[in-house]
Amino acid sequence: MVSKTEETQLNRLENQVDNGGGGAWEYLCLVRKLKVRRSEKVLKHGLSILNDPKKRSALGPEEWTLYEQVAIAAMDCQCLDVAKDCIKVLMKKFPESKRVGRLNGMLLEAKGSWAEAEKAYSSLLEDSPLDQVIHKRRISMAKAQGNISEAIELLNKYLEIFMADHEAWRELAELHVSLQMYKQAAFCYEELILSQPTVPLYHLAYADVLYTLGGLENLQTAQKYYASTIDLTGGKNTRALFGICLCTSAIAQVSKGRNKEDKESPELQSLAATALEKDYKQRAADKLDLLTRALRSLKN
Amino acid sequence: MAADLKYEISQNAYIKLVLHALKHNTTAVNGILLGRVNPQNENVVEIIDSVHLFHSNLALLPPLEIALIMIEEHYGSQGLGIVGYFHANERFDDVELGIVAKNISDHICRYFPQAAVLLLDNKKLEAVPKGKCQSPVMQGLT
Repeated sequence: MVSKTEETQLNRLENQVDNGGGGAWEYLCLVRKLKVRRSEKVLKHGLSILNDPKKRSALGPEEWTLYEQVAIAAMDCQCLDVAKDCIKVLMKKFPESKRVGRLNGMLLEAKGSWAEAEKAYSSLLEDSPLDQVIHKRRISMAKAQGNISEAIELLNKYLEIFMADHEAWRELAELHVSLQMYKQAAFCYEELILSQPTVPLYHLAYADVLYTLGGLENLQTAQKYYASTIDLTGGKNTRALFGICLCTSAIAQVSKGRNKEDKESPELQSLAATALEKDYKQRAADKLDLLTRALRSLKN
Repeated sequence: MAADLKYEISQNAYIKLVLHALKHNTTAVNGILLGRVNPQNENVVEIIDSVHLFHSNLALLPPLEIALIMIEEHYGSQGLGIVGYFHANERFDDVELGIVAKNISDHICRYFPQAAVLLLDNKKLEAVPKGKCQSPVMQGLT
């Protein structure tokens, strides 16, 4: 998960490097730190450093990290020859390395030789059964072959060991959502909210899943979580504001026959609508009319 | 529904969808097709514009509902309606219309029975300049 400031900084650096302004190494380090997937840029700029012997020696021991980074980026862009060359260099320098063994496994994956990659990973796991990256590669392989249920099974086993891996919980939630297993996705988000209660993203995602599940109770809980998202983000989250409007109208529809739930909903709905209109006025004034009409059609 | 339906897609609509899919080449993407029935020939549906929707968590309801409401409002005032759905799968070799895509397109068909469902053909997209097209999967009759 990358914050907005980090993302702007990254984009700024990327623009600078793309337009010949230097700073390629800084860019590559930032990409590595934030763990974002910008393989084409990494490949281009990484290779420009690696192919220039002066720049390469200026890196010192970091040169090998760059080889690894470029190898992975090359595999992502299907430039398997580049990847193979980088891995060869690394194998010469670190002959018995497990880290290079992992890269070899990834190369087999990139070629589509799933069985061989699985063999490579299993043997690596025998030596180091707690290597998180290899576990995750196996899950990715299952996902890449379209076997989502196996990916979910493997991911569940992984989470039994590494319970604190938040990104893994998020991945599991998204896998469940893609299979429309919303109850299980809700469980994942609950775990995330329990361990990191101040991250608004999880509240928002949880509310979305609850709304999708439907039913009066879920809708009411979803409304509460949209409200907590707004609380945690200081009122700036547009999706949560919309979510409140949707929930109010959905709750009204569901409880048409029953007269109990009239208490705070209209106030909440009008507060959310006002906040949305203010936001649109500031950031997209030409769409304000569209927003008002959409909100009105929701109210009916 | 014995008549042969023809669909005409405008360059604008087509390009927007494909570019969006290319930008988010590591995830599934989807979009809505907008247009109208040709006033001269009711067996021809013109797809005049498109709106690309999401590139993550396509199966969640709230963003989809809001998007559909706003799309209908905006294009309704221009005389266009929702005439179809576009989907591009995450994996290169996945040529099936998944559950999510089927559900969404079924929903659209309920409102517009002649709705078109377009699935991006990744292999054709790979053959870069020419031959880049989608394999239309007609959904009218389910």
